[in-house]
Amino acid sequence: MRLLIVCLSLVVAAGMARADQELPIFDAHMHYSHDAWTVVPPKEVVEILKKAGVKRAMVSSSNNEGTRMLQDVAPDVIVPELRPYRSRGELSTWVRDPTVLPFLADLLSKRKYVAIGEFHVFGADADLPNMRGVVELAKKYGLYLHSHSDADAVTRHFQQDPGARVLWAHSGFERPEKVREMLRRYPNLWCDLAFLTSHALNGKVAPGWRETFLEFPDRFVVGTDTFTPERWHYVVEHARWSRQWLADLPPDVARKIAYENGDRLFGGAR
Amino acid sequence: MRRALLLAGLLAALVAPAAAQAPPNWSEDEIRAVGRHGPWPPPAVRDPSNRVSGTPAGIALGEHLFNDPRLSGDGRMSCATCHQAGRDWSDGQPKGIGTVPLDRRTPSLWNVGYGHWFGWDGAGDSLWAQSIRPIVDPREMANAAARVGRLLREDGQLACGYRRAFGVSPGADDEQLLVDAAKALAAFQETLVSPRTAFDDFRDALVGGDRQAMARYGASEQRGLRFFVEAGNCSTCHFGPRFTNGEFGDVGIPFFVRPGEVDSGRLGGLARLFDSPFNLLGRYNDDTTGASARRTRHVQRLHANFGEFRVPGLRQVGRAGAYMHNGSVGTLEEVVRHYSEVSPDRLHSDGTPLVRPLGMSPQQSTDLVAFLRSLDAEPPPRPAPPPLCP
Repeated sequence: MRLLIVCLSLVVAAGMARADQELPIFDAHMHYSHDAWTVVPPKEVVEILKKAGVKRAMVSSSNNEGTRMLQDVAPDVIVPELRPYRSRGELSTWVRDPTVLPFLADLLSKRKYVAIGEFHVFGADADLPNMRGVVELAKKYGLYLHSHSDADAVTRHFQQDPGARVLWAHSGFERPEKVREMLRRYPNLWCDLAFLTSHALNGKVAPGWRETFLEFPDRFVVGTDTFTPERWHYVVEHARWSRQWLADLPPDVARKIAYENGDRLFGGAR
Repeated sequence: MRRALLLAGLLAALVAPAAAQAPPNWSEDEIRAVGRHGPWPPPAVRDPSNRVSGTPAGIALGEHLFNDPRLSGDGRMSCATCHQAGRDWSDGQPKGIGTVPLDRRTPSLWNVGYGHWFGWDGAGDSLWAQSIRPIVDPREMANAAARVGRLLREDGQLACGYRRAFGVSPGADDEQLLVDAAKALAAFQETLVSPRTAFDDFRDALVGGDRQAMARYGASEQRGLRFFVEAGNCSTCHFGPRFTNGEFGDVGIPFFVRPGEVDSGRLGGLARLFDSPFNLLGRYNDDTTGASARRTRHVQRLHANFGEFRVPGLRQVGRAGAYMHNGSVGTLEEVVRHYSEVSPDRLHSDGTPLVRPLGMSPQQSTDLVAFLRSLDAEPPPRPAPPPLCP
């Protein structure tokens, strides 16, 4: 009988370990831009996501046709974001380009999106008319702002619309103390962890970040950031890496950061 | 009045090209920046992790092994097959060829001993560990420790050379003999120091204030050098006397190797480094202080490492047959054009990007190429190595 109990315990433990390895991922930071379409075709993207255990992926692309192509082949997986760039090279010019707002307004009138982004804006540029217009469009359509920016620009987003909902790309590449300060100040701020490694070294959550995750378990999501076509071939390894450090957190916190927050905030695919 | 304006216009037209052709006046900051690219040559290498580094007997054994095709599995390929003395210790091909076509360019071995990471992906943390990799890689020399061990034990000349280098006869431990062979190979490669160049003469003259000697260096080369250390910001990565910081970067070169497959560069290199029994944290490190393993102990894998490749040194750069880790750029002029026009799309905007499109004028491009070519020099002919044990 004791042997049976031991065996059963081992089976349960093994099952738990497997479930841990298979923690689903909501990847909140992916791009499928024009230069990826032929070298990593949509069906290959879906296969990669499946292999990585990414249950949903929030995708933006330059231009937005890439997001539509992925939605067509995997409508249950792809959560669409609207990007203000027609080619990726516009990331440094969009904020002063007068054609951007009409371009966004046109697409918003035709398709449903959950966020506008990822866009790049820093400091006082966040007060330029284009950025203000994007904040207004997000308010009008009830969308998140996915902002690759410094803390200054995030503050300006909230000054323009205190009710704005902002997903801070890469957590601003900030120190955990600063991220905590921002999360305390702005209840409608969430953070993605794309392209960051400082929070998790050798499978362990770094001091400072651990306290931040435990204080704000509902405010973080993970992301791979496929900013070049080649990076689609990093998605599987990135998911494995994410599960490794997430396993160093309490299971309920790990589940939230891995996929529950993404599902709750950005919903299922449309 | 119109005549005066016309005259002024003519003067301006004459003066502008003349200014473009003149050598620059060097500021104190610029002289310091140029000075950091010398003196050359640096002191000889002595690797504390390698007990035969810098020893004449270790170097002699290494040179013989380097040229010995029996170091490969089928006895047809030596290290010198790809790292040819007459081709600046590379092969002149865009990509290497082992038992199969390879995905990366054969790196030159000039000044290799001064590095701290080895191979395009830095999978080696010592030159001797890096020297093991091609010997046992089935795509390259496809050999095994047992065959290397047997060669060192059974060949009279090599066994004698081993005794002289290591002070004992080759033992029965094949893996130990493979490591020792690689340490001798490393000792030899550490001696491959590129010759002094026109740039070095200018650099020394500039630092020493010798205007007469400075004048022997061309105006175009001087302007290119100034662009290199100032506006181009090239010396941030191509730093120091070897013109490399020895680290890794993503300079916007695509890294697909074939459909559906990428060369993950530094990221994969770090995985191989950590898995290797030959890394500096392992039992084959001869440095009992542990100091030589400091980098290996502390290095971390970063997402940014995906698709990063080692920053190559630039000495003898104009003599290369192709450029970048995968030989995808054919000429030095095209390399310069790449940096002039690189798409920021391919570079992650985390902070201030080190690589950005330089938007160079044709004159600036010509000058930069002229400067880079001034880092070349014809090496003296190499005599055949003397017998190990005459």
